[in-house]
Amino acid sequence: MIHFAVQNSWLIPLMPAIAFAIIVFFLRRTPQASAFFSISCISVSFLLSLGVVAGVLMDPAAVESSVTWFSMPGLTVEMGTLIDPISGMMVFVVSLIALLVQIYSVGYMENDPGYSIYFAYQSLFAMSMLGLVIANNFVQMFVFWELVGLCSYLLIGFWFYKISAREAAKKAFVTNRVGDYGFLLGILFLQIIFGTLNFTDLAQIIPTYANVGLLTVIALLVFTGPIGKSGQFPLHVWLPDAMEGPTPVSALIHAATMVVAGVYLIARAFFLFAAVPTALQVIAYVGGFTALFAATIAITQNDIKRILAYSTLSQLGYMVMALGVGGLTASMFHLMTHAFFKALLFLGAGSVIHALQGKQDIWEMGGLARKMPITTKTFIIGSLALAGIFPLAGFWSKDEILLAAQSNGFTGLYLIGSLVAFLTAFYMFRLVFVAFYGQAKPNNDPHESPAVMTTPLIILGLLSVVGGLVGMPWLSTNFGSYVYFGEAHHGYSLMIMVTSTVIALMGIYLAYLMYYKKTISASAIANRFKAIYTLLYNKYYIDEIYQWGINHIVDGAGRVAYWIDLHVVDGVVNGLAKGTRQSGTILRYLQTGQTQHYGMVLVAAVVVIILLLGLLDPSLGISAWGGGN
Amino acid sequence: MTITLNHYLLLAGMLFCIGLYGALAKQNAISILMGIELMLNACVINLVAFNRFMAPNHLVGHAFGLFVIALAAAEVAVGLALVLTVYRDLLSVNIQDFDWLKW
Amino acid sequence: MDFTLLVPEMFVAALACLLLILNLVAPRGERRGLVIFAVLGILAAIAVVAFNFDMFDGFLGRMYLVDAYASFFKILFLIAALLVCLTTMNYYKPLAGEGGEAYTIMLFATLGMMILVSAGELITLYVGLELMTISFYILTANLAGEDARSSEAGLKYLILGAISSAVMLYGFTLLYGVTGTTMIHEIAQFKEASPAFWLGVIFALSGFGFKIAAVPFHMWAPDIYEGAPTPVTIFLAVASKAAGFGVFVRFFLTAFPQHADHWIPVIAIMAAATMILGNLAAIPQQNIKRMLAYSSIAQAGYLLVGLVAASEAGVKSILFYAMIYVFATVGAFAVTIAFNNVSESDDIADYSGLARRSPLLAVTLLVCMLSMAGIPPLAGFAGKFYLFSAVIEQGFLWLAIIGLVMSMLSVYYYLSVVRVMYLGEVTDYSAIKLKGSMKLVLYVCMVLSIILGAYPGPLAELANIAARFMF
Repeated sequence: MIHFAVQNSWLIPLMPAIAFAIIVFFLRRTPQASAFFSISCISVSFLLSLGVVAGVLMDPAAVESSVTWFSMPGLTVEMGTLIDPISGMMVFVVSLIALLVQIYSVGYMENDPGYSIYFAYQSLFAMSMLGLVIANNFVQMFVFWELVGLCSYLLIGFWFYKISAREAAKKAFVTNRVGDYGFLLGILFLQIIFGTLNFTDLAQIIPTYANVGLLTVIALLVFTGPIGKSGQFPLHVWLPDAMEGPTPVSALIHAATMVVAGVYLIARAFFLFAAVPTALQVIAYVGGFTALFAATIAITQNDIKRILAYSTLSQLGYMVMALGVGGLTASMFHLMTHAFFKALLFLGAGSVIHALQGKQDIWEMGGLARKMPITTKTFIIGSLALAGIFPLAGFWSKDEILLAAQSNGFTGLYLIGSLVAFLTAFYMFRLVFVAFYGQAKPNNDPHESPAVMTTPLIILGLLSVVGGLVGMPWLSTNFGSYVYFGEAHHGYSLMIMVTSTVIALMGIYLAYLMYYKKTISASAIANRFKAIYTLLYNKYYIDEIYQWGINHIVDGAGRVAYWIDLHVVDGVVNGLAKGTRQSGTILRYLQTGQTQHYGMVLVAAVVVIILLLGLLDPSLGISAWGGGN
Repeated sequence: MTITLNHYLLLAGMLFCIGLYGALAKQNAISILMGIELMLNACVINLVAFNRFMAPNHLVGHAFGLFVIALAAAEVAVGLALVLTVYRDLLSVNIQDFDWLKW
Repeated sequence: MDFTLLVPEMFVAALACLLLILNLVAPRGERRGLVIFAVLGILAAIAVVAFNFDMFDGFLGRMYLVDAYASFFKILFLIAALLVCLTTMNYYKPLAGEGGEAYTIMLFATLGMMILVSAGELITLYVGLELMTISFYILTANLAGEDARSSEAGLKYLILGAISSAVMLYGFTLLYGVTGTTMIHEIAQFKEASPAFWLGVIFALSGFGFKIAAVPFHMWAPDIYEGAPTPVTIFLAVASKAAGFGVFVRFFLTAFPQHADHWIPVIAIMAAATMILGNLAAIPQQNIKRMLAYSSIAQAGYLLVGLVAASEAGVKSILFYAMIYVFATVGAFAVTIAFNNVSESDDIADYSGLARRSPLLAVTLLVCMLSMAGIPPLAGFAGKFYLFSAVIEQGFLWLAIIGLVMSMLSVYYYLSVVRVMYLGEVTDYSAIKLKGSMKLVLYVCMVLSIILGAYPGPLAELANIAARFMF
């Protein structure tokens, strides 16, 4: 069974692909059957991925298999699978979260008119994401990378009758295109220089390549892919808006799986980045900046999903930063634990929104703790895990990242990381105290969600508690013994553990004072630092800056280009087209319909060819033929 | 004067050209078919002459010639049938009248 | 003498004779039963050929070659014959006779093609060629038909075809006279080229050029394609052209490889002229059959590009392209048959609003045309990619550039049909009913045009195996 799963890992993305096809073609009119079929297929994928994990744990050596997709001189593109600890972990996480979210969606999407197509999209997404993580080469990865982008677009705009959803979907798509373009350029460069796009082959060749300058350019180009997909500054703007989609979609795509594809890409192609220290530094600082930047915005937001979205951005920044400082293990570990507790938080938020008929402003909530006990408990577990409180999942992974930053000499980033940890604890518990323990609003009638929604919450809650234990530094064989780049190393620093916990507790305590006890007035502080508050509340006006840029620079350039197109290009093109048509007409009338004309052309052509050959090459002696013989 | 290969080739070449001229210049479809027959016969003369003078021990050229005669007969049979059909449709065997299909 | 090598040919010949007899005993005008019989027989023949695909053997020395190259083409002809037989079920006018004579003649034409691509010797080659061509004269003229245009097309084809084959035969006699042999591979051992030899080569070239409708030997093609009954047009455009290429490539690469430096430039010029003229002349056409006829001339130009490469990659790309060209062409012409059944018209203007009347017809025509234009990810793109990369490898960049420019140009006239179909004013809302056999043909052509583009691997591999036998 285990051997079968490892050898046939291509079945994992195939199952949801089948589900997608069957639902689209046969089950459109039967919503319940669609949900059932979709969940069954992803369950099979999940079981297979368990087999893959078991196989990887028994033998961490990479297993690769591939078929040629097409080949031509100088370019062979294959479709294949590469199973090693990193992809094994990802397959497990993705199929697990996808399964739980689909189960949850049965309750959340109930009575939605697009129920069937929703599950079709979910299956398509699962297929694409699983195909992405097991890819063994850049082309396949790019294909699935675009497919997950497409699914994200489809699902953000799922409620397409809302203008905001349409706009958000468009924004996500366009912003991602910017990053994908750079990524594609990087891939093309790799193909041109190295002649292969296979990860294993590239990992062998790249360290021996001397031209570091060019390699740096390539690495940075490839990094633009993750900047777009994983919402790093300055292409982060699409992710908060993407919250227009259904909440389970936000949980699956925009928190736990798709957005970490960028992080995963860096980890997968770490052989490339490891060869160019400059690129790594850029990555580290972009990540660190994004982490801090997003966290500061999160403390002022009021929409429950937007707070979580900025939190996601911040945590993604964390992971990217970890990669940048060389902590691949830490980053992947945080990716996994983050997937658990952030999916939990989003699903919990979805449960709340579901109970309040779509209200998302935390100030309109309040008093949910008593009415929705399961949701509340699991949400608090998730928040504690995110804040990094011992011994929950986030604690272990966050410490790993801080340790990696500090031990590799990035003291500045270590301090930023600690500050972010403080902010994280603060904004999460601001959310918890206001939404769950604030004063109950009279016109709300919350009720606990059905079991089909709370069960995934409980499972994710458990994972958020115990999920981090696999990475405990005291274990002789832990997460880092499998997932690493270069040398596996174990180590821990009590100092970091203690300080980070204390910092997080301080954040929680501050939130407690401000929003539960109200001994410190939040509005007073906001008034006091009015400028900063407004700046943060408006997300540093980044959207507005982009809008201004689009209005003035892009549109201006567009107008100029349009003028050129209209008067110069079109003139030439129309002229060419006219010439072509006319020559076609002339050629047409050569065809007289007279059989004997055709025969004469035939004979004349033979004569012309004889003359041609004879004139081109007198040595053939054809021109002499008339005289002699 | 002995008759050499060149004489035969010259005869065949002339016959071929006459046939070609007939096929391209005559207006009557039957005459055109006759022109084509001349071209094919020129080929047969060529084959037989080459066989006789270049490789008298093998009979490949003769065999080829027989095949050509048979195929020419088949071709002209179909050709005459077509001319009849066309005559039925258009009451003419003048090839220049047949230019419905053009441009 | 191992007669088992000839089993596919004997099978097809027997099938043709059997159909002739069945036609005599079957009720007058009954075609359906005969078609089913023919289709099943052809399927069996495909199986027989495919079963012995990867072999190399010769009947009577190397007079008759049975190798993967020939088998590839034989499968292609049989597939084309199969699809054409299916389309005739939807062709309600008489075809070469009141009943099913057409199938007999069609199978004899197929037999001629099969002999043609296997021929290792001039007499066999000539007999195969004439068997194919004479069958086509009969099919084109459609003796039982009411349409005077078919008769005209038939007579034109006969006269021009006979002149061209007489010229080619004259070339063969010269080659025989100079080299003293009719075996193709023995001609290759003849190193010194005399003027008579070159005359023979050029005459042979003109004959093959006529069969594949390459400029400047293409003049017959538009008229005959337009005038012939559409199923015959399909068969002519697809199978006869492929057979021409099959023998052209084998003959020139086997007999004259040592003179390649001299004849390749000529073919390169022919290829360029064919691509340019075919595409330019297609633009002003208003009759869809005539437009497709010019487009099929242009396709011959692309295929010639592969011969210019004269390498294994080039031959492979010819084989690949010839096969995908079958599906694109059959699909496009099948749409015109189905449309003609309800509208009695082949004018592009009448296709207005077809997308509303029959989405299947419209989308098939769209896919097949875009495949011919070489738009990714359709099959034509993969085919052109192989062709042009093969020829660039041999240093003919200019030819590839002409090909690319002309492919882009072809999008213009293909899309103008698409525009009429999808955006044109709908004057007639009645849905077009399609028979099962027609739907089958349309689906097969459309789906294969997509699949062979998205996943060209297996077909390319088969073409590779076949191409290896040429070198």
